[in-house]
Amino acid sequence: MAELSAFNFRPGSSVLHGLDVRFKLIFLVLISFTSLKAYTVALSVLTLVLVTALMHSGLSLKSILKTFRYVVVLLAFIFVTRALSTPGSVVVEFKAISITREGIYYGVMICWRLVIVILTGLSFVLTTRPSEIKAAVEWALNPFPFIPAKRIATMMSLMVRFLPVIIDQAKETADAQRARGIENRKNPVYRLGKLGIPLMRRTFERADKLAVAMEARCYSENRTDPVLSSGIMDWIALCGVVCLCLVIISA
Amino acid sequence: MIATKQLRMTVYASLLAALTAAGAYLTIPIGPVPIVLQSLFIFLSGLLLGSRWGVASVGVYLLAGALGLPVFAGGVGGIGRFAGPTGGYLLGFLPAVYVIGLITEKTRKRVVFDVFAMVCGSIIIYSCGVSWLKILTGMTLTKTMVVGMYPFILGDALKIAAAVPIAKALRPVINP
Repeated sequence: MAELSAFNFRPGSSVLHGLDVRFKLIFLVLISFTSLKAYTVALSVLTLVLVTALMHSGLSLKSILKTFRYVVVLLAFIFVTRALSTPGSVVVEFKAISITREGIYYGVMICWRLVIVILTGLSFVLTTRPSEIKAAVEWALNPFPFIPAKRIATMMSLMVRFLPVIIDQAKETADAQRARGIENRKNPVYRLGKLGIPLMRRTFERADKLAVAMEARCYSENRTDPVLSSGIMDWIALCGVVCLCLVIISA
Repeated sequence: MIATKQLRMTVYASLLAALTAAGAYLTIPIGPVPIVLQSLFIFLSGLLLGSRWGVASVGVYLLAGALGLPVFAGGVGGIGRFAGPTGGYLLGFLPAVYVIGLITEKTRKRVVFDVFAMVCGSIIIYSCGVSWLKILTGMTLTKTMVVGMYPFILGDALKIAAAVPIAKALRPVINP
């Protein structure tokens, strides 16, 4: 088994662990929505709040940065396309390519917003049990008719649970291939083919094992969910987040 | 037996939704536009799960994105994403996966039909994505296609080429 990745639930007793899941779900929607409207100052405040919350709930700064290792390529790509494609006052010009001041600004803003969304999602997944996520999604979908709320909720919590499995399996497969000297092969198509297919087959086999385990435990859709209860702390936190979001939108 | 089959498909559909989410972050830097693997897994959902479960898988993925979990490629998450410039592509995934699933269900599992199904799927994704982009930005059709379609066609061809052997390798695992 590889090391515990940051996408797993970690037991703990921080404020975030204690909050009601439904409120956390509302916070998730609110913050990801407000990040659309946020600029430099608001983004710095949000980053500060989220990093503090994450560190308070038991994740070290080092492992937060380590999680972002996977996203860096994507962030760089978004930044470069923005920097090149936005018209405005030119900073650097090289043949047909010109980098504009506005482009750099929007690139940074968009990458920063993505980081905020990831941090929010991370703090949600980190402090919430999959069974609680399921219960909250079910609660949110219940008012809508014709939607199989229970099944969708199960699938959602399974999906969140599979993310660390996939990362784990990818690491394991890559290690196994490095041990067999895959680095000597320079052809990228060959390497991706030899990595991709076993990786997919193994994750599906693990999913298969999970299905067998669920069946062996007599899984059915009619099961008792964890009881959701909200306290005074939840309402205080809700007020805090709503105020923060209103300030950011109106600013 | 029916319950067993249904449970297995539920688990597989969730796994493919998780793979799609992971694929949104996996980029292969080849050519002028890097390839984001998200739509490869959309194709695979249709090919492996069929129309009904494919739609369920993509639906769960989109719902997770709408709730604000970071599962979409680039930019921002949340419901706002569907109203943004790339919202059309995201919503186009649903009919695309349905059609891919339908074609593979109706035909025998041959490479030719798989490729045909995925080409149909890509056409649906692009027609949804490009028309939404056109409405939103007010560009002419040719210009919208230059921005929102032509740069990605090479990547899509590679993804279709990659999906064929993966689907071939995984079908025995899913339907023993």
